Amino acid sequence: MQARPMRKYPLSTEVDFVIVGSGAAGGVMAKELSTRGHSVVVLEAGPRLLPSQFKHDEFDYWFQGGIGNPHPVTWRQTEAEEAQAGQGNIFRAMLVGGSSVHFTANFWRLHPIDFRERSMFGAIPGADLVDWPITYEELEPYYTKVDWEVGVSGAPGPFDPPRSRPFPMPPLPVKSSGVLFERGARKLGMHPHPAPMAILSKPHNGRNACQHCGYCMAFGCEYGAKSSSLASVIPVAEATGRCEVRPDSYVSRVVSNPQGRVTGVSYFDKQKREQFQPAKAVVLCANGAETPKLLLMSELANSSGYVGKHLMFNGNTGVSGVFEHPLNEYKSVQVTRIVHDFYDSDPKRGFYGGGGMDGRFQNFPILWGLGGLPQDGPQWGSEYKRLLGEYFNRTMMVAGHTTSLPVAGNSVTLDPKVKDSFGLPALRITYKDHADDIKIMQFMVDRSKDILDAAGAQKTWGNPVGVSGGTAHLLGTCRMGNDPQTSVINIDHRTHDVPNLFICDGSSMVTSGRGQPTMTIVALAFRAGERISALAKAGAI
Amino acid sequence: MNTDAVTRRKFLTAAGAAGVAFIAADPALVQAALNHAREAAGLALPPRFESLTPDQAAGLNAVAMRIFPSDGTPGAKEAGVIHFIDKSLATWASGMKEVLLPGLKDLDTRAGGAFAAQTAAKQDELLKAVEQTPFFGTMRFATIVGMFANSSWGGNAGQVGWKLLGFQAHGVFQPPFGYYDAEVAKGG
Repeated sequence: MQARPMRKYPLSTEVDFVIVGSGAAGGVMAKELSTRGHSVVVLEAGPRLLPSQFKHDEFDYWFQGGIGNPHPVTWRQTEAEEAQAGQGNIFRAMLVGGSSVHFTANFWRLHPIDFRERSMFGAIPGADLVDWPITYEELEPYYTKVDWEVGVSGAPGPFDPPRSRPFPMPPLPVKSSGVLFERGARKLGMHPHPAPMAILSKPHNGRNACQHCGYCMAFGCEYGAKSSSLASVIPVAEATGRCEVRPDSYVSRVVSNPQGRVTGVSYFDKQKREQFQPAKAVVLCANGAETPKLLLMSELANSSGYVGKHLMFNGNTGVSGVFEHPLNEYKSVQVTRIVHDFYDSDPKRGFYGGGGMDGRFQNFPILWGLGGLPQDGPQWGSEYKRLLGEYFNRTMMVAGHTTSLPVAGNSVTLDPKVKDSFGLPALRITYKDHADDIKIMQFMVDRSKDILDAAGAQKTWGNPVGVSGGTAHLLGTCRMGNDPQTSVINIDHRTHDVPNLFICDGSSMVTSGRGQPTMTIVALAFRAGERISALAKAGAI
Repeated sequence: MNTDAVTRRKFLTAAGAAGVAFIAADPALVQAALNHAREAAGLALPPRFESLTPDQAAGLNAVAMRIFPSDGTPGAKEAGVIHFIDKSLATWASGMKEVLLPGLKDLDTRAGGAFAAQTAAKQDELLKAVEQTPFFGTMRFATIVGMFANSSWGGNAGQVGWKLLGFQAHGVFQPPFGYYDAEVAKGG
């Protein structure tokens, strides 16, 4: 499973490509470029862990940073405020494989409408909604590559967009949460179906199938069954002998010359020494927060002023329900059934937005103890303790995943005061959900409660919908477009301003989709890798 | 990872402002705490307190025991929550002493004597009065972690916290997983 790096380039070697980041996009980029004959160095800020080093340790991974990014993040809702640490957070892993190692592995494709809602609905006040410069049909072959090369389990649903090839593997076995979710949704006339998951239900491409240990969300998969870039495409890249994945390498600057071309990147190595990796071209795949941060620090590719702007999180909601019999939701993958009946935005609702829902495991034990029970009940003492025990294995959650509108004021910028341990500026998040984003979240909360009630829940509860204070989805901050004045990259993922600087990650997304962006990020990387290689071979970089 | 935000937000609400400081610990100190816990686990003698005096330990233990009482099933006492707290204070969460010790002193003052010496009913009454304080928020957070974190952190002795929930942390499983999917598998 675990290929060790096959190739090490001396720092004096100018490689064809340096890729910043080894996650969902960076891993695929490395694979696509190296298998097409290019020399590649991937710089990853975090360490390289073997699958056997992943831990089943909730306190470490959820509370102590575990495999997360330790650098500070400051937060505010509007530009008028001073951002503070601890007001909100973004959750991303920092290791070879990036957040694809610790993600839950929900793997929805976008639908055709996600690419052209501006044309369908017109301008939305307070937002900057635009169409993508590409269509679903153009991206479809790459979604299919992801299904087969990265590994996706599932079965088609009634609202799914067309696919050119079936899923390579059947859905993972349904859990009790899936059965109850399906039961409730069907009673209400909805159309539940198996969740597409980037987790192997059968052995595939020499990798193990899921062992149903339950440690997906925020954890690394020691079986290699979760289709992280670490488990799927990075070994393929390394096997070419042309790709070096260099861990513990934290990039501080993309270096450019007076001719307006980039020459490589500066980074801190494990000993915090500054190094320079020269390259003919640079591809940023560092995620929707780190990529704009790096561009802002490097003062590059921002003639539009759009770098870091239009940050989108996806709304998310959760409603819990307790049932008569044990569900034992801590076993196996987090999600097995979804509903896409409310995917499309429906003007009849009176606001923009759509989303999906799933039935899932609620919480690991510590999180369950802290906030799992209904807030109107006891939170300590005998009755609290009794309910924790009685409810734990009989509770499930219906989660909602919704659109976020692109709003210019929602952004990633450099904090003017707070620095990280390397002396680089902290990420500063400015984020306040558009009023329509809040409305679609409330809509999903109401539908989630309906489903749980229809499924026979004895009691349901959830938190009130509010302004987002944290997320793992970091989208839209270097949006793709044809107009250099209103976008950062073109349809080849090339920055409008710098001919040999490319970007592919969540920042490329023009709209947010309905809450599960990783599949699209990976598909974009397959497409971008193919196009960037073609440009290089044509001498057009 | 979509529910991260939901659960984190819940956690932040539930933990209270003081509990948040528990999150921001230095990874090196976390490792030190783990090593420390492992060493302590290897000792045959009951672990002595590294950070707390016997009186402080008794007081904080009494608070933890009201949050998770030993009422027919094991609680904070049996899980060794106080040892988790002591080890945390001795290593990665030393800053929490500034919240816990004055808070305990305040409880003793309110009790007109040692909090630990009061009846359970009196203790509950005293704790209800401080429910909204950083002291109680931190104690609640630490007690829950000491109940439910991996034993390597110093608490959850004999996995009594997980047994309370019916949770298995290190299994691999095969379907059916629960009652309702078993019902479907049987054709029900």
